[in-house]
Amino acid sequence: MTTTPMGAAPLLEIQDLKVGFRAGKEILTAVDGASLTIYPGQTIAIVGESGSGKSTLAHAVIGLLPGNGTIQGGAITFEGTDISHADRKQIMALRGSSIGLVPQDPMSNLNPLWRVGTQIKEALVANGVAKGADADRRVVELLEEAGLPDAERRARQYPHEFSGGMRQRALIAMGLAARPKLLIADEPTSALDVTVQKQILDHLDSLTDTLGVAVMLITHDLGLAAERADHLVVMYRGKIVESGPAREILQHPEHPYTKRLVSKAPSLASQRLSSGAARAEVREQAVRTAAEIAEEIAHSEVALGEGREDIIVVENLTKVFTLRGARPWQKVDFAAVDDVSFRLRRGTTTAIVGESGSGKSTVARMVLDLLPPTAGNVVFDGKNLRDLTSKRERLRLRRQMQPVFQNPYASLDPLYSIYQSIEEPLRTHDVGSTKEREAKVRDLLDKVSLPTTVMSRYPGELSGGQRQRVAIARALALDPEVVICDEAVSALDVLVQAQILELLNDLQAELGLSYLFITHDLAVVRQIADDVLVMQNGKVVESATVAQVFDHPAEDYTRRLLDAIPGASIPLGS
Amino acid sequence: MSETRPGQERFVAPIDETPLRAIDAVNVDAVPENQWKEAWKRLRTSPLFWIATAILLVIALMIFFPSLFTSADPKSADLANSFEPARNGHPFGFTQQGADVWARTVHGARASVTIGLLTTILTAILGMITGAIAGFYGGFVDTLLSRFSDIFFSIPLLLACIVVISVLNNTFPDRGFWGSVIVVVAALALFAWPQITRQMRGAVLEIKNLEFVDAATAIGASKMKNLRRHIVPNALAPVIVASTISLGVFIVAETSLSFLGLGLPSNVVSWGNDISAAQNQVRSGQHLQVMFVPAAALAFTVLGFILLGEAVREALDPKARKK
Amino acid sequence: MWWYVGKRLLQTIPVFLGATLILFILLKLRPGDPILNLAGNKPVSQEVRDALAAQYHLDDPLFVQWLQFVKSAVTLDFGETFAGQPVFDLIKQTFPVTVVLAIMALAIDAILGIGLGTIAGLRRNGWFDSSVLVVSLALLSIPIFVLGFVMQLVFGVKLGWTSPTVGSNWSVGDLILPAIVLAIANFAYTIRLTRTSVAENLSADHVRTARAKGLSERLVVRNHVLRNSLVPVVTYIGINLGSLMAGAIITETIFNIPGVGNAAYTAIAKGETSTVVAIVTFMVMVYVLMSLLVDLIYAVLDPRIRYV
Repeated sequence: MTTTPMGAAPLLEIQDLKVGFRAGKEILTAVDGASLTIYPGQTIAIVGESGSGKSTLAHAVIGLLPGNGTIQGGAITFEGTDISHADRKQIMALRGSSIGLVPQDPMSNLNPLWRVGTQIKEALVANGVAKGADADRRVVELLEEAGLPDAERRARQYPHEFSGGMRQRALIAMGLAARPKLLIADEPTSALDVTVQKQILDHLDSLTDTLGVAVMLITHDLGLAAERADHLVVMYRGKIVESGPAREILQHPEHPYTKRLVSKAPSLASQRLSSGAARAEVREQAVRTAAEIAEEIAHSEVALGEGREDIIVVENLTKVFTLRGARPWQKVDFAAVDDVSFRLRRGTTTAIVGESGSGKSTVARMVLDLLPPTAGNVVFDGKNLRDLTSKRERLRLRRQMQPVFQNPYASLDPLYSIYQSIEEPLRTHDVGSTKEREAKVRDLLDKVSLPTTVMSRYPGELSGGQRQRVAIARALALDPEVVICDEAVSALDVLVQAQILELLNDLQAELGLSYLFITHDLAVVRQIADDVLVMQNGKVVESATVAQVFDHPAEDYTRRLLDAIPGASIPLGS
Repeated sequence: MSETRPGQERFVAPIDETPLRAIDAVNVDAVPENQWKEAWKRLRTSPLFWIATAILLVIALMIFFPSLFTSADPKSADLANSFEPARNGHPFGFTQQGADVWARTVHGARASVTIGLLTTILTAILGMITGAIAGFYGGFVDTLLSRFSDIFFSIPLLLACIVVISVLNNTFPDRGFWGSVIVVVAALALFAWPQITRQMRGAVLEIKNLEFVDAATAIGASKMKNLRRHIVPNALAPVIVASTISLGVFIVAETSLSFLGLGLPSNVVSWGNDISAAQNQVRSGQHLQVMFVPAAALAFTVLGFILLGEAVREALDPKARKK
Repeated sequence: MWWYVGKRLLQTIPVFLGATLILFILLKLRPGDPILNLAGNKPVSQEVRDALAAQYHLDDPLFVQWLQFVKSAVTLDFGETFAGQPVFDLIKQTFPVTVVLAIMALAIDAILGIGLGTIAGLRRNGWFDSSVLVVSLALLSIPIFVLGFVMQLVFGVKLGWTSPTVGSNWSVGDLILPAIVLAIANFAYTIRLTRTSVAENLSADHVRTARAKGLSERLVVRNHVLRNSLVPVVTYIGINLGSLMAGAIITETIFNIPGVGNAAYTAIAKGETSTVVAIVTFMVMVYVLMSLLVDLIYAVLDPRIRYV
């Protein structure tokens, strides 16, 4: 990673930096006294959750704070010169040619109206690197350098014709176009699939090594940071709480926050040990409770199903969409889900893992009966969903199987109070009197560890993690047997994610729930699942227990997924 | 690499300077707020809103309690008073026919505002229903409804009204007050509803893909219930904004139609009729108040509605909603 | 790209047919003897009656009559006024001045509207921005005919800078005042839209990236802010054409401009409904073609649209 000799002078020094945002009359401090040093050619990583100030810090260095942001104190020294109060011309001269930026969201950071090549050419021309036809040639070279195949054709295309990974590569090419000495990479791969992420970061590593560019990598993923950087800086609520050599911090964290992060980050080895044992306990308890429930169901007249152990059986499930082809009159058949089969046993969790386009969410929607399959069967406790003809039966199914969706900001109706959102299922199914319903809602809020005062609030006032808890409470309102979690924790910060996973595990043990857990994050699977289904392009690539998949993956693709988990390979201290 | 360089030594912040908070704790003390309450709060503090309310209050008083403003009879016209200047009890003098300018203006508010309000309500209803159906069901229904609304949208409002009203004028020559109002309102609404349809359809399209709609389906709500309970309430905001703004537009449209002789019959007291009748005065440059008093009242009212629309738009703006 | 063009063309056809259908229905709703109406309400002999019936296909089923209507419209045969003049001739005479007026108004609207809107957007929340907001809102509330009269009075009569009425020997200079009146009625919306568009784009992610590349502020504003902001504004101005045409009727009447709008007004006053419908049909055709053009320009400006 680092090739500079020991005695070299630092490239960037940040001393006691304070950055604030004006909100009305107040000033909110985003960065509170941060100090760090970067040496030429070195890669350092700044790790933190959302709100930690890491992005603000990065933007302050390149002078791109939003309108109401100001540097309130401290110094930023680049190559010996203090740039924290530089005027516009100075900063502009630095940008691109001395300090480059690779921003976070590839879609919104490229101008949709200009061709990709033109946008990269702009960087060359603005920094005096090349002009005219010369610049055009250079653009193609840069795109190739960034790993974009068929670069000459691609340069003439528009951003919306690129995939997410391709756009990110274009942004990397743009950031490095004028050969800056420092590259700020702000969460450059968070929006991408994990295998694509690995490819791009590997590429970026080798590129910056070859060019001798120092990299300031901003990320929320501790494992990724430790893998890619020598020096690690951990930020929490605007302050730097710990910094030092990456491996050391991971193996011997000292600050309580760092300790939290290390112990909760699912990708790290620490999880390997603790989660396996914890999961086994949960599963044992859950299976026992589930068996009792199964007994009741077998004897119940109202409930749908027979009380079988295989509560969901999916056989040869297929879903084909008809899309518009290259010409408007052409139609193309696209198999989003192709011959998928698996079983979910009562009281256990089956995870479906795949990258974007794998079809995992489509499978979930078909199991939930939100989407009719093209072929194949979904059998719930012995009842084929196709055979549910009467409205009563369909409603009954809804009671026994409920979803929790991915986006906490869209899964609750903003006009419904928390009470109304959780009560809605009870009202729809006409369960209990108003008083009884209120008692039930309180009980549910208690189960998900939310204070009952939250009842009169509205979703807009809660954080993402709190909203997911409400979504879980809502899902549990009808006492279902199965909960389908469609990327339920993917949008959450690491620590909040760990909390929700713990909650899900506790609820499973207590209520004997069975989970179908859809996720793109293989690392999380260890904590929550017993069986795993790996999907790619609509097909099942591998289907086994969690232990088998992690310890002895049979398929290439599975191995690649495991490989791509950031930080999985780092050995930790005892 | 075990050697560290200057500035990169191992550092741990002191705990008391960096205390840990509980993960994701709920703020128990805050007051509950939802979208409408927040919007109301923003509305309350907006100066535009208060100015608009003041203006509209005055107009409302004019409509319901005209005697607060004038005691003269707008319909009594004595040619002997033709173009007499202002005198006691008649602040702006008389029209060519000898009627009190101010009285006619005060009483004229009723007709114009009534038409504006009725048209807005009718347009909103038509537009919301078609927009919701088109957006929700999509596919063929959407294409059909969208093309249908495009047809009406493609004929510019005023032109269309001119044609419709000329035709209806010939068909029903003696209409009376309410007959005329219905004709004008119907003509305007017939060609103005596509605008609301677009707003509603756009909003419904956005909302129906949000996950809380799926969640409601998974709970067991039927499509109709979903539409009613979840989608439409969330889609109302742009419709409300568009409707409030178009109120002013409709009032002006009515007066334009009257100006062209196609609005309310000339025996009805309305601003449009007054302004239209006063055309010739302006060219000669004399007796300007005969036109400008009703014109000012009209501008004043429209300003009130436009300001209200602006204030409502700012209050409901989703971008302003993010704190 | 060409598929988009084709698709839009295809969409225009049913819209045009629908619009003509509505106008046709309205035409047919006129009460009374259609022959008398055509003959200007003068009594006619049986021969003339037969001739008129044949000429206007009055004995054919309604559907056929409608198709005839459409055919006549497309072939620009709009029948005759009561005075016996072919309506199309009337349109030919009066259209040029309306076109010039509309173009001038559009130009003023675009230049002033976009110009002021951009400045307001760039200097968000400054005094310029607020005053632009206030003035544009105030202008919006003054109905166009009042504005027309005021301007006519002030600049035409009192100050004498321009002639208060235009008349048949018109020159471009005479049209400046009416064009300004027409433009003012609309440009408040243009300013607001441009301002919002610019302000939004200023804080967009891709603009920040453009700055990060080292581009000068001027380049950033020109290439990334303005270029992106123009798209909604251009489409809006195109749609504006509709209200411009409607506004033209009133403006032409006030300033006595011998344009299409004035002809329509005269026809209304004389009760010549068929002439009115003919003129309106023509204007609808123009409008439909113009919005097609605007959509195509939109596709040129925004590459994402072309592949939808």
